[in-house]
Amino acid sequence: MPPKRRNRPVKRRRTTRKPQRRQRRWWIAFTLFVLLVCVTFVPYLAYLDLVIKEQFEGKRWAVPARVYARPLELYPGKRLTSAQLRQELDLLAYRQHTPVERPGDYALVADGAVVYSRPFQFWDGDEPQRFFKATIRNGSIAKLTDMRASKAIALLRLEPYQYASFTPSHREDRVLVGREDIPGFLVQALIAIEDRDFYRHHGVDLSGLMRAVLSNVKAGKIVQGGSTLTQQLVKNFFLTHERSLKRKFKEAIMAVLLDWQYPKDEILTAYCNEIYLGQDGNRAIHGFGLASIFYFGTRLQNLGHAEIALLVAMLKGPSYYDPHKHPQRTLARRNQVLDTLHALNILSTTEVKAAKKRGLSLIPVQPIRGVSRFPAFANLVQRQLRQDYREADLRSEGLQIFTTLDPLLQLAVERQVNRQLAAIEKRQAFAPETLEAAVVVSQTSSGEVVALLGGRKARFDGFNRALDARRQIGSIIKPAIYLTALANDNYHLATPLLDKPITVDGVDGKPWTPNNFNDKYRGQIPLYQALRDSANAATVRLGMALGVDNVVATLQKLGINRSINPFPSVLLGALELTPFEVAQMYHTLADNGFKTPLRAIRAVLDARGRPLQRYGLKVSQSLPPEPVYLLNTALQHVVRDGTAKTLRHYLDPDTAVAGKTGTTNDFRDSWFAGFTGNGVAVVWVGRDDNQATHLTGSRGALPVWGAIMGKFDLEPLLLTAPPGVEALRIDTKTGLLASKRCPTTVQLPFVTESRPERYAPCSKKRLAKPAKKPLNWLRKLFGGG
Amino acid sequence: MSAYKLSIYVVSFVVISALLISCAGKPEMRQTPTPVVTTPSLPAPASEPAVVALLDEADHHAARGQRDQAAASIERAIRIQPRDATLWHRLAKIRFEQGQFQQAQHLAAKSNALAGNNKRLKAANWGLIATARTKLGNHDGAAKARQKAKHFGTF
Repeated sequence: MPPKRRNRPVKRRRTTRKPQRRQRRWWIAFTLFVLLVCVTFVPYLAYLDLVIKEQFEGKRWAVPARVYARPLELYPGKRLTSAQLRQELDLLAYRQHTPVERPGDYALVADGAVVYSRPFQFWDGDEPQRFFKATIRNGSIAKLTDMRASKAIALLRLEPYQYASFTPSHREDRVLVGREDIPGFLVQALIAIEDRDFYRHHGVDLSGLMRAVLSNVKAGKIVQGGSTLTQQLVKNFFLTHERSLKRKFKEAIMAVLLDWQYPKDEILTAYCNEIYLGQDGNRAIHGFGLASIFYFGTRLQNLGHAEIALLVAMLKGPSYYDPHKHPQRTLARRNQVLDTLHALNILSTTEVKAAKKRGLSLIPVQPIRGVSRFPAFANLVQRQLRQDYREADLRSEGLQIFTTLDPLLQLAVERQVNRQLAAIEKRQAFAPETLEAAVVVSQTSSGEVVALLGGRKARFDGFNRALDARRQIGSIIKPAIYLTALANDNYHLATPLLDKPITVDGVDGKPWTPNNFNDKYRGQIPLYQALRDSANAATVRLGMALGVDNVVATLQKLGINRSINPFPSVLLGALELTPFEVAQMYHTLADNGFKTPLRAIRAVLDARGRPLQRYGLKVSQSLPPEPVYLLNTALQHVVRDGTAKTLRHYLDPDTAVAGKTGTTNDFRDSWFAGFTGNGVAVVWVGRDDNQATHLTGSRGALPVWGAIMGKFDLEPLLLTAPPGVEALRIDTKTGLLASKRCPTTVQLPFVTESRPERYAPCSKKRLAKPAKKPLNWLRKLFGGG
Repeated sequence: MSAYKLSIYVVSFVVISALLISCAGKPEMRQTPTPVVTTPSLPAPASEPAVVALLDEADHHAARGQRDQAAASIERAIRIQPRDATLWHRLAKIRFEQGQFQQAQHLAAKSNALAGNNKRLKAANWGLIATARTKLGNHDGAAKARQKAKHFGTF
C-alpha cells in the first residue's frame, strides 16, 4: 500500500478507500487463516512427532550381545581331517571359490585346502587375514604355508563362529547392527544409489527429487527414486502400503521432523535395521543384518562388494528384485548399481570387474530358526553370565562373549544321539521319539564344556535336560562311596567285601533291603570287583560301614553343591542330580582330584573390545591324588570287563576308558559317565514322562556314549601312579597276594602303606607274611633291602 | 680241619647267606611291578612350533606388563599341550604376579602332578607354592612347601 502523503494536493480517489479496506480485510482474513492453520496444524505436527518418537525409540537399537564358539586353532600336528576343516569353513559361511582371491574364499585340494581367512579382533590380540594352505595327511595337519610369503605358519586361528545373540527385547526377527557394524562401502552405496544428499538435506530432498524426475524422464523409465532414506524409513513405520498423495505428504512431514530431532547417523542405523529386504515365507526380512544372513549365510561385516551391491539393488523393490525368484533381472540390476558406483568413482574398474564376475553367491533358502543355532549351550552361557553380570549389562552393551563350545563336536553329538536313540527305539520296539537324552562333554585339562545337548531335538529351544532334568542317578553314585573307602587306610582295591543281602533302617526307620541286579549275590569279593560289577549289597554294606555322611562329604568334594540328606538309600543313588552335576563330579575324577568348575565362557568383551571379566583357569586340588588314582583304575575295570564292557563295540579297548554305568531301580533312568585321556562325557537316556524304559545303563546310555566318543579325537587314558603307589599281583578269588601258582590273578595298584600283607592259599607260600621279619636286623646291618 | 678254619667257614657261610637272603628277599616282598597301566609318552614334537610361538607371544605381553594377555597365550598353549608341566608352571607364575595366590598355588600343584621326574621343575613349583602360602598367611604350609622344594634340589 503506498504511503499516504498528506502534503500533496492529491485528487482524492474514492476507489482507494474501498481497496484499502478490502486489502485490510484480506490481510485480516489471511492472518486469521494462518492462525487457524497453525491452531489445527501444530497439534497435528505434535501428533506426528509423537508417532515418530514412539516408533523410533520404541525400537531400541541397542546392539545385542554376540555369542561366539571357540575359534578353530590350526597348527602343524593338530588332529584335523579335511572334512572337519571344511565343516568349520562352511559354518563360517566361507565360499568354495576358485581362484581363492578374497577373505572368505576357500578351495579343497588333493592334500588339504587353500583358504583365505578373514581377520578377527580377539580380546588377546588381532588375527590378521591370511592366505594359506593347510596340508592334511593321515588325519592331522602336516604343515601350514603362507601362500603370499611362501613360508611356514606355526599357528593361526580362524574367526569364531557366532551361534547366538542375546537381543535386548527378545526380537528374534532382527539381526541388529550398530553404526560401527555397517560397512563403509554399504553407506557409500546407499547414499550413491538411494539418497545422494543424505547428509545435507533436512529429511526431504527437493533437488534430489528434481534430479530423479529428470533422469527418469531421460531414461524413459524409473531409474531413480525420489524418496530420501529418511522418507523410506518413515514409510517402513506404517504397516499399510497406502500410496496416496495424502500419505506421501504425511511421510514428508514426518521425515522432516525426524531429521530435525535425530542425528543423521542414528537415522542411517535405523534405516539399515528396518528397511524391508524380502520375504521368507510369511516372515518379512527387515534390516541388512538379517538379510545378510538370509541371503548369504554370514554377517554383514563379511560381505564383499558384489553382495552389498546386490542388497542395495534390491531396495527398489525386494519382491520384484527377488534374487531367488528372479535371478536374472536381479543380477542385471546389481550390475547396474555396480556401474553407477563405478561412475561415481566409489569402485575402481578392477573392483567392478571382479564383483560382476561373481554370481549371486546366494545360500540355499533355509528357514532361520531364530538367531540361536545351539540354544541349549547358549542357555548355559546365559546362566553362567548371570552369575557374574547384571542382566542390564548383558542386554544393552553390545558385549562379545567368547565361549568354549566346539561346534563340530556339538554337531557330531546331535547327529549321533538321534541316530542311536532311533536304533534303540527300533530294537526295543518303542514308538519313535519315545526316548529323550541329555549329554554333557567337557575337556579334562581345562574344565571347558565343549558340547551340551539339552534334548534330541537340538535346534529347539525347549526344556534343557542337561541343566535342569533332575533324575535319580542310581549306580552313578558308587564311585563316590568307593573313593571314600580308598581314602581310608583300612581299605584298598582288594579288600574283601561281603556281597550278601543286608537290611538297614531306611528313612522313617522302615527297614530297607536293597536288591542286587538279577538277585545274584556273590558272597565274598574283592572291593574292585564289587565296583566293577556294581554289586548293590556289597556297596551298601561298605557305605554303611563308612558312614553315609562321609560319602556325602566326598560328593561335595567332587563338586556337588546340593545339600543332600544322608539317608542309606543315597548309597544306591536315590538322589536326584542333573546331568551337568554328574559331569562335574566325574570331571574331578578325570582330573586326578583337581576340582575345576565346568565353564562355558572364556572371555567377555564390552562394545569397545575391552575385556570385562576374564574367565581364566581356576583349579583347586579337592582330593588327594592317591585314592583317586586307585578308583580310576577300578573304573577302567568297569569298562574292561565289568558292566560297561560292551563299549568295546564302539571304541578301541586301548583307549582304556574309565567309567560307570547307572541304572535306577525301576529302570527309569539310564546313565553312563566316563572319561578318556582328554575328555569327560555324561549321557542320560530316559523318558520325559518318567515311565520305565527297561534300559540298563549299558543298554541305553552306553551305546550313545560310545557312538559320540567314537567321533572324537580321543586320547587314551594313561593314568600315572602318584608316588607312594605300587602295583601288586592279586589272586582274584581271595584278594590276597598271588604268586605264579595262582590260576586267576590281576594286577592292581596299592598305596604302599595300606597294601595287603597276606598271601593267598593258591600261592603256596608257606609263610603267612613275607619272610622279612627274622632277618630284618641282618638286612639292616648289611644295608640291603 | 682246625676249629679256626671251621669258624671262618661258618662265619663266611652265615655272612654270605645273610647277604644272599637280604638281596633275594627283595623280589619276594616286592615284585618288579609290570605297572597296571603304561606311563604316557612325551607329547609329539610336531606341535612345538605352535607352542613356541605362543610362549614368545606370552613373553612379549609379559614384557609390556600385559599379564592377562600373557596368561591367555599360555592357556592357548595348554590347550595344545595339556600335559606339559612347564606350561602350567608358567601360568602359575603369571597368576602369582597378578596377586592371585590361591590360583598360583593350585596351578603349581597341577604342574607338579604332571612333572614326572623333572626335579628342577618340582623344586620350582614347591618354591612358588611356599611363597604363595606365605602371602596368604599360611606359614606352616609355607614351611612344609619349602622343605619339599629343598628335597627336590636347588631352590
